[in-house]
Amino acid sequence: MATPEETTRPVLACGEVRTCLLPSSRALSNKEAELLLRLRDDDHVRVSTRPGRHVLSPEILTGVDCRFPLANRAKVRGVGTVASRAALTEGRLLQASSYFRAPVEGPDRRQPWGYYLARPGTLLPVGRIPESACLQGFLTVREEGCLDIGSIAEALLARISRHTGLLDYDVPLRSAATKLWWTARPAAPGEGASLERFTLAEDGVRTVLLRVPRGTEITAVVGLCEDLALHDWLLTTMVEKLDDNGFGSADGTATLRVLGPLVDHLLHLWMPGARVDRTLGAVWEVIEEDPGFSRQWHTLVQRVRDQLALQAVMSQRQALATG
Amino acid sequence: MLVFAASDKGGTGRSVTSINLAYRRALDGDDVCYLDFDFGSPTAPAVFDIPDVAKEAKGRGLHSYLNGMTGEALRVDVWARTEHQVLRSRPSGAGRLVLLPGDRTGGEFVTDGASLHRCVDLVNALRREFNLIVVDLSAGRSYAMELALSATAQTELRSLKTRWLVYHRWTRQHVMAAADLVTGERGIVSAGVSLGHDKDQLLGAIRFVRAAVPDLGSPQWSQVPPAQFAWMRQCNRELEGIAAGLGIGRSRVLGSVPLEPVLQLQEQLITDEDVLDSRIANIQTWQAIGELAERLADDKHWGLL
Repeated sequence: MATPEETTRPVLACGEVRTCLLPSSRALSNKEAELLLRLRDDDHVRVSTRPGRHVLSPEILTGVDCRFPLANRAKVRGVGTVASRAALTEGRLLQASSYFRAPVEGPDRRQPWGYYLARPGTLLPVGRIPESACLQGFLTVREEGCLDIGSIAEALLARISRHTGLLDYDVPLRSAATKLWWTARPAAPGEGASLERFTLAEDGVRTVLLRVPRGTEITAVVGLCEDLALHDWLLTTMVEKLDDNGFGSADGTATLRVLGPLVDHLLHLWMPGARVDRTLGAVWEVIEEDPGFSRQWHTLVQRVRDQLALQAVMSQRQALATG
Repeated sequence: MLVFAASDKGGTGRSVTSINLAYRRALDGDDVCYLDFDFGSPTAPAVFDIPDVAKEAKGRGLHSYLNGMTGEALRVDVWARTEHQVLRSRPSGAGRLVLLPGDRTGGEFVTDGASLHRCVDLVNALRREFNLIVVDLSAGRSYAMELALSATAQTELRSLKTRWLVYHRWTRQHVMAAADLVTGERGIVSAGVSLGHDKDQLLGAIRFVRAAVPDLGSPQWSQVPPAQFAWMRQCNRELEGIAAGLGIGRSRVLGSVPLEPVLQLQEQLITDEDVLDSRIANIQTWQAIGELAERLADDKHWGLL
């Protein structure tokens, strides 16, 4: 909900989503997922089963008091709280999101904590921040002394990963985690949501720059970014697994060792836009147009199936030859 | 799998050999990460030939991470960042090879529960991504070693297959020191047991690597006078006797690495090119490291004897 001072000045939103495979040999049931994501006793875990299973933790807050990562290297202090939540999709894919809203102007002096606590999930500048330097900076600047939102998300992943009662750490396939850094600025009055940029950087980093209709709840934007991150992770992991294993070699068992876990654990997770707020649906349309996530996914899935069909034929021929 | 590389004394080639092991496992298709816990003298960036890392790791390396000064430890993709001619292109079929460099800037070590938790969290995150995690510990009984033993005793890491490589040179002093490091009063086993490890299980997970061992069968030694050669053979036998007496005889040895100029003088990665084309490294060393890399992952060579 917007506080009175925000109705006139623009409010930016920034966040990071980390996506990884749950460290477990099997998918968790909804009941187990609920236990895993119970980060607070005073708030519920949200469980949905249509379309697809999705479990969402309550929000937790982390207090921060540090420099804003600004592209123009200006030193502006930001004080407030960063909100975080975790999500588990199909009992298999674990995501941790950390995010905050940032009005471009805050009080001229550092206020007592009570002031900031009354605005949960908001990072207030002491003074002003230039809008574009903030949006750009968040996607590029990672420096000592600046806000390190990735660490907050990582700490949440680590906290969940410590749940030895529910997790056996025996992952069916090794995969890297991805980090999606996103920023959103309000669109012009009357305009809808749009995707200004989506880039793949090194070390599993993706950056997303969005415009969202004024008044959009930040959790809706977070939900969109989690959905983007999840599908990007699926593509990244599939490409890595398929490209790094020289198929075409005659060794059928090696091929099956790679393809088996993909079929068992990943192929059924593709469902772009399923849980995205309707006002933000246009963003997925843009991505499907160019670069075309689903197009690439279906090609990859086809490759998996073709390889499996080929293996079946080959093993049959071998059986006939030796029999 | 988690592998700790330890040694009682310096100069055993522990770091450089472990890095070569990590490299060879990655060539074989394992996803490997190498953690430089040797905070006194981080050598990994030099061996991997990534010169900028030391500067980059300032305040973001493992030391700073364990001390809570940064939320995440820096990761460096070796294939992408190395300036080594041969390593630059990741061979097809090779797994990932990632370095987590140490840094000297993290201040004094605080041996509290918080750094233990951070260590466990780090390993937990890495095991999702890598099938081999190699941790290079500094020489002697160090804080890093205690941390390694405490972390692996925690419930979160109990299910992770953990192995220890203890490097020593093939001399009387080194053999005795290595035995003491493992079974001595303040050694790995007694420290481990006091932290909650099972004695037999821990012992079964420790193997020795003999470094800089002169291979008396090699042409290198064929020129020495017969009297000297006989004397060397005699010394070798005596050393075997001492090692066996201390409980680190052949059955506890995972492998030996020959006396190799490239490891001793240059401390560098040995690639097949060094052996086959430029011939600066000996084929025996290449084979010895390959054998070590294979045995490291082979259960047959591990467990209680």
